[in-house]
Amino acid sequence: MSTTTKVVLGFTDGVEHELLVQPGHSVLDAALEGEVPILFQCRTGSCGSCLARLVEGKAEHRSGLAVSLLPGEREQGYRLLCATEPKGECRFSVAYDSAAGAGRPIEAKCFVNAVERIANDVIRFELELAEGYSMDFRPGQFIQIKVPGTEVVRSYSMATMASDLPRIELLIRILPGGIMSGWLENQAKPDDVVEIRGPYGQFFLKEKVREPHIMIAGGTGLAPMLSMLAALRRVPGRKPKTILSFGCQSPEGLFALDQLDLHQQWSPTLQVRIAVDRGTPPAGVQVGNPVEALTPADGLTPDSVAYLCGPPGMIAAARAHLEALGLAPGNIFAEQFVASN
Amino acid sequence: MNDQAPVRRRTVRVNEISTARMNDEKTQSQYQPYKDAAWGFVNHWYPALFSEELPEQAVEGIQIAGIPILLRRAAGKLYAIKDQCVHRGVRLSAKPTCFNDTSITCWYHGFNFDLASGVLNTIVANPDSKLIGKTGVTTYPVEEIAGMIFVFVREDDFPLEDVPPLAHDLPVRFPENNERFPHPLWPDAPGILDEGAVALGLHRTGQSNWRIACENGFDNAHILVHKDNAIVHAMDWVLPLGIVPDHEEPISLIEDEDGPKGMMQWLFTDRWKPILENPDLGLKIEGANSRFYRTSVVLPGCLMVENWPEDHVVQYEWYVPITDDLYEYWEVMVRICKTDDERKKFQYRFDNLYMPLCIRGFNDSDLYAREAMEEFYTDGTGWDDEQLVETDVSPVTWRKLASRWNRGIAKPGKGVTNATKTSSIRLRRLAQGKAPGYKVEKIENVNDY
Repeated sequence: MSTTTKVVLGFTDGVEHELLVQPGHSVLDAALEGEVPILFQCRTGSCGSCLARLVEGKAEHRSGLAVSLLPGEREQGYRLLCATEPKGECRFSVAYDSAAGAGRPIEAKCFVNAVERIANDVIRFELELAEGYSMDFRPGQFIQIKVPGTEVVRSYSMATMASDLPRIELLIRILPGGIMSGWLENQAKPDDVVEIRGPYGQFFLKEKVREPHIMIAGGTGLAPMLSMLAALRRVPGRKPKTILSFGCQSPEGLFALDQLDLHQQWSPTLQVRIAVDRGTPPAGVQVGNPVEALTPADGLTPDSVAYLCGPPGMIAAARAHLEALGLAPGNIFAEQFVASN
Repeated sequence: MNDQAPVRRRTVRVNEISTARMNDEKTQSQYQPYKDAAWGFVNHWYPALFSEELPEQAVEGIQIAGIPILLRRAAGKLYAIKDQCVHRGVRLSAKPTCFNDTSITCWYHGFNFDLASGVLNTIVANPDSKLIGKTGVTTYPVEEIAGMIFVFVREDDFPLEDVPPLAHDLPVRFPENNERFPHPLWPDAPGILDEGAVALGLHRTGQSNWRIACENGFDNAHILVHKDNAIVHAMDWVLPLGIVPDHEEPISLIEDEDGPKGMMQWLFTDRWKPILENPDLGLKIEGANSRFYRTSVVLPGCLMVENWPEDHVVQYEWYVPITDDLYEYWEVMVRICKTDDERKKFQYRFDNLYMPLCIRGFNDSDLYAREAMEEFYTDGTGWDDEQLVETDVSPVTWRKLASRWNRGIAKPGKGVTNATKTSSIRLRRLAQGKAPGYKVEKIENVNDY
């Protein structure tokens, strides 16, 4: 055979990937080259991680290669993809979904650790995963919480990192008449149990980016940024220059200033700018909006990356402003906070 | 998870912080990263061995910050790689097996690693394996200077192009810092990077957390433990009972963009007051000879004592984390020796005066003082329960600095020596009278174990 062979890989969530396998290459080689999310480990036919089932066509393990599958398993169609070469077009299925390994959503129960008002309209809500539950997430992602006693579900970004688990911290904006807001203000107390589901979301810190990072947060849009800042501190090697611009409507709405101080103390490459729309701000806080706190003097390059989180108006303004400052539109990532009704 | 199962709280509670003190919750939170660094800081340069401990063809295994590291010298070149086979975790240094000068073989199943790149380049009895070339062990940059071997202990994914020069993890140098840190009472301290520098010393394992050891080195109240040391009385030194801060800036931060990060203490200036007597207790220092000195410390925990124990000599110390309750204590004296004769004299004085009375004698007091403090901190509560006082401006400043400038916090060691305190091998070694240590114990006789 001198040409490539077409192979289809199917995941349990219906996602399918088509691969072109070079002569002499294994299906796993082609999957890795095509960045298809196949679980694997040893790549020598022994550990069994890359198990898949042949559902159409013909494919055999490399002749003469000892693999750890039992003969019965092989007859049922199971193959180890690292040792498998297709004999003509074929199709495999794997027993997991296409998001396997990377923060697959789970359902879990959590205890309430703290309900603390930290600004006139913001509550810091701390949860702890109950015994027997585990999850993983990427900095910037969110979870859903079922408001106890209702079937209503609300979404909030984690302000903590996966390494802080079982502790989870959320920053929640209190809305007059809101269902979650009412529960938090009137009923929630330590040791209550809530149900969560997650993580979700495509808004998360991209790895291995060394160019400057811009973060613009409006109100509780600060939560995912706090998670990302903590993650950036743990990046091995040189840390990217980072500017966080955080805005609130009024001085009474400000929160987490101590925490931002600490982040600045611990991260020599981080600059924090804080603004309020109106009122008399405390020392170190400007009157203005967090979008315009970024100026041409910051010398942003097209390769800089930006993370935006807040109300839709702020995100639209920030996007336009950053593009005008020279950022490539593809490097601007945003999460909108929309109040639920 | 069964929905009927009761929902239970996790049982482990951590970090309950006390309040209303100098080191209250707010102050403590400023150095939380330091409190998290029980296993040390990574992505820094640490001393690994003295040159003479690694002759041509030698292999040694050590552990720093929970990372097993193998050093080898072959055909005149020095190499450092992770001392843990990718296959099933065997320590290569336990029974060094090398078939050439550019690689080392795992003596168990024959995985063969290139020393320069770490890549798995063959398997002794499986030379056609598909795994060859696809995996390998982490390599560590190495520098050899003044008779010491330094290793850049990095996380597996720390980029090699980001490795800073060794000088960024060594103390400030003189005379280039004379204007910034003048020292009218003593000559310029030599530096280990200076031409003609000779480093003589000792490294030994201490049974305490590396932070307890490190903070002892520049704690200006700790010199009380040296009150009775032989060298002090033999030399008739005026060593104060303690030295207390007496100025708004008793310590200057060292935070140059392109250099070491640390702090300098303005000892023997008007910023610190030596305490020579305590009338309430009837104590008075009677020594006749001044012994001016100055301590500074830089990340990842390298102490410099200028003008110690005599003019033209400097003492360096490192407190290299091995695990969360073991550190390798490095005591090194440096002097510039321009001729063979000067070198011989320094060696003679080191062997017959400094070694027995300073490296042992004087510093032995530090070693047992740290161990006496260790148990209060072993379970982590000591950091919350300690009651600090004025002189602790030094450790608190250091903790904040270290929280800001460390290049990474070591993860608790997993699958490495002395990480599991109750492992039966560890218990057997203890029963054999061998204290947990720094170097890997080699299998000496292959037919009699």
